Amino acid sequence: MNGWMGKIAKIDLGSLEQETVAIDDEMRRRYLGGRGLGVKLYTDLCSAKTDPFAPDNALIFMTGPLTGTVMTSGRYAVVSRSPLTGTICDSSSGGSFGAVLKSAGLDGLVIQGRADHPVYLYVHDGGIEVRDASSLWGLNTQQTQKAIQEQTPAKTSVACIGPAGENRVAFAAIMNDKDRAAGRGGMGAVMGAKNLKAIAASGSQTVAIADPEGYKAMNARIERIVDKNPVTGKSLQVLGTSVLVNIINAHGMFPTENFRRGMFNDAEGTSGEKIAESLLQRQSACYKCPIGCGRTTRTKNKHGEGPEYETVWAFGAQLGVSDLTAITEANYACNELGLDTITMGSTIGCAMELSETGAWKEKLDWGDASKLLALVEDTAYRRGIGAELALGSKRLAEKYGRPELAMQVKGMEIPAYDPRGVQGMALSYATSNRGGCHMRAYMISPEILGHPVFLDRFSTVGKAEIVALFQDISALVDSTVLCRFLQIAMGISTFTEMLRTVTGLDFSDEELLKIGRRIYTLERVFNNRAGFSRGDDTLPPRFFNEELQTGSSRHRVVRLEEMLDDYYSVRGWDKEGVPLPRTLAELGL
Amino acid sequence: MVKFYGLLRRQVQPPVLEISTAELNILQLLQLAERRTGQNFLDELLDPEKKLLTGTIILVNGENIRLKQNLETRVSGGDTVDLFSPAGGG
Ligand code: SF4
Repeated sequence: MNGWMGKIAKIDLGSLEQETVAIDDEMRRRYLGGRGLGVKLYTDLCSAKTDPFAPDNALIFMTGPLTGTVMTSGRYAVVSRSPLTGTICDSSSGGSFGAVLKSAGLDGLVIQGRADHPVYLYVHDGGIEVRDASSLWGLNTQQTQKAIQEQTPAKTSVACIGPAGENRVAFAAIMNDKDRAAGRGGMGAVMGAKNLKAIAASGSQTVAIADPEGYKAMNARIERIVDKNPVTGKSLQVLGTSVLVNIINAHGMFPTENFRRGMFNDAEGTSGEKIAESLLQRQSACYKCPIGCGRTTRTKNKHGEGPEYETVWAFGAQLGVSDLTAITEANYACNELGLDTITMGSTIGCAMELSETGAWKEKLDWGDASKLLALVEDTAYRRGIGAELALGSKRLAEKYGRPELAMQVKGMEIPAYDPRGVQGMALSYATSNRGGCHMRAYMISPEILGHPVFLDRFSTVGKAEIVALFQDISALVDSTVLCRFLQIAMGISTFTEMLRTVTGLDFSDEELLKIGRRIYTLERVFNNRAGFSRGDDTLPPRFFNEELQTGSSRHRVVRLEEMLDDYYSVRGWDKEGVPLPRTLAELGL
Repeated sequence: MVKFYGLLRRQVQPPVLEISTAELNILQLLQLAERRTGQNFLDELLDPEKKLLTGTIILVNGENIRLKQNLETRVSGGDTVDLFSPAGGG
C-alpha cells in the first residue's frame, strides 16, 4: 500500500489483548488518517457517555498518509475525549514521533483499558511490547525519554507524560522528541488514567511512494515554494512565532491581564525580536522541516525550547508579567512536567482576577513573576492552590461563583488574540469543536496577516463561509498529517498533489475539502450527542459587553449573532447547530 | 514617527525614525525613510513593481493601509506608521 503502512494496532491495557486491523479503502478515502481517521475510530468505539478517565475510553495515536514522506511530516495526532472540555478532541505534535511510528510498521495505535501498574509500550516491527514503567512513574518528561532511550535501540522516539499527566491534571500534555507537545485538551491526563507512562517507537520500514519520479520533482518544487515565501523562508526561521507579539499588540488585541485590555505596555520586551537578540541560541526544526520555527533558548540558569508566541503571551501579557526569563522558565517547567502552556497561563490569569475581585482569598497579583514557577509545579502535583488551578479556568471560576471570569469556550482557554479585534476569529473560537482554540480556523491569517488575501477584521460579512472553509481545510491538513505552517506558502491544490503522488489515489481538491467537512461534521455530531449545541457556541460575556478601551480595537465588541445563523446555514446545520439529515446524507455519515 | 519591526530590524537600528515633513504618501515616506536610514529595506515590504507583498502590514495610527488607500495613503507630522515585514505564527 502506498502512503499508509496499512495497519493499526489495538491494545487493551487491562486484558493485554492485542489485535491488528487493516486500514480499508473506505477509511483511507473518507478519513485519510491523523485527526480524521482518529475521530472516526474513536466515534465507532466510544459513546458520548464515555468518561474520559474510564478504562473503556479510547486513546488513539494516529499518523497520516503523508507522515514520514514530504517536508514537515514527522507529526502525529492524538484523539480522545477531552477531560477539560468533554468534547471530542484531537491534539497534534511535531518532532519525529509520527514518522518513527510509521517506520515501526504502524499507521496508528488504539489504546483502551487501564493497566494495573505503570507501563510503557514499545512499538517495533508492527507489534507492541508492554513494558513495566514502575521505575519511570514520577519522572519528568525529559528524564522519562532519556530513561526509555537507554532501554531501547538508537533513534527510538518517545512520547510520554510527566507528573501532570500522572496526576490527571485536566490540561496535561503529551511530550515527544524532548520538547514537542500534543498540548491542548488534556490528552496527557487520559494517558495517565490508563497508567500509561509512554509510547516508544523504533523501526526501519519505509513508506512506499506511488510515483517516485513525480515525488522527487514535486519535493524540489515544494522546497522552492517554501523557500521563496517570505514567511516560511525567512520570518519564521529568524524570529519564530513570537514575531506576532508586536503585530497583535499594534492591532490593540493582545490580551492583557485576563483579556481586560488589548495592549500590553511591555509587549516589546517579550517580543520575538527581543527573544532573537537575547535568549535565542539557535532555531530548531521538526523532522524534514526546512522552516524550523522552533527556538532553542538559554536563560542564566537553564536551557530548553521556547517560548512560542502563545506561551510568551500566556505567562506574559495575560498575567501582566514582562520578565522574559520568568516566562521562559515557566515554559521549560511546563515542558518538563507535561502541561499545556496556554491553559496553564490563562488559568493563572483567571485566578489573579478572582483574587483581585475578592472572590478568591488567595493573593495573586498582576505582574508578579516570582510565584510563576511554584504555581506551575504545584499544579502538576496538585499541591495547595495548584490543586485548584489543575481544574482549568472554567471549573475554577465556577467554584468561586464568577464563571464569567474564565476566558474559555466549551472549557478550553482562548489563546492570544482578543476576539473583539477580529470578528472572524471570534466565530472560529465560538464554533470550534474542541473549544477555545485558534487552530481550527486560523482567521488571523486573512484578518491580520493578510494571507492568502486580506480581509477587514471588523467586518462580519462573509466571515461564516470563510470560517467554515478554513475549518474544513484545517481538518484535512490535520489528517494528512502535515504542519499547518505549510498553508502559509501553499494552497489546497498542493496538498492534493502531495496526496496523489504519495498514495496514487486520484484525489481532487473538491474531494479533499469534502473529507475535511466530513471530519468536522462527525466531530460536531459527537459533541451534539454529548450535549453541546448553540448555547455552547459562544464566548465569555466580557467580549460582548465590555469594549476595549485603548488602541486600534477600541470601542469594539464581538458581534457573534451577526454571523452564527449564516454559519449554521453554510454548514447545513439547523438553528440549534445540529447537522440536518440531508447534510449527514451528503457526507455519508 | 516610523517604527520598524520584524526582519526590518536587522537593517534599521534604532528601529524608530522621527520624520517631520509635509504631507506625503506611504510610498514616498518609505523612500524617504530609506534615504534617511541609509538602508535598503523596501524589498522586505514591496515587490519589484513597488506593490505591497502578500503579508506586509503597514499601520497608520493602528489602521491598516489596505483598508485605506494602500501605498497612496497620506500621512503627515503627528502620525505613527508601523512597518511589519510579512510574518506568520500561531
Ligand atoms: S514549521 Fe515549525 S512546527 Fe512546523 S514542522 Fe517546522 S519546526 Fe515543526
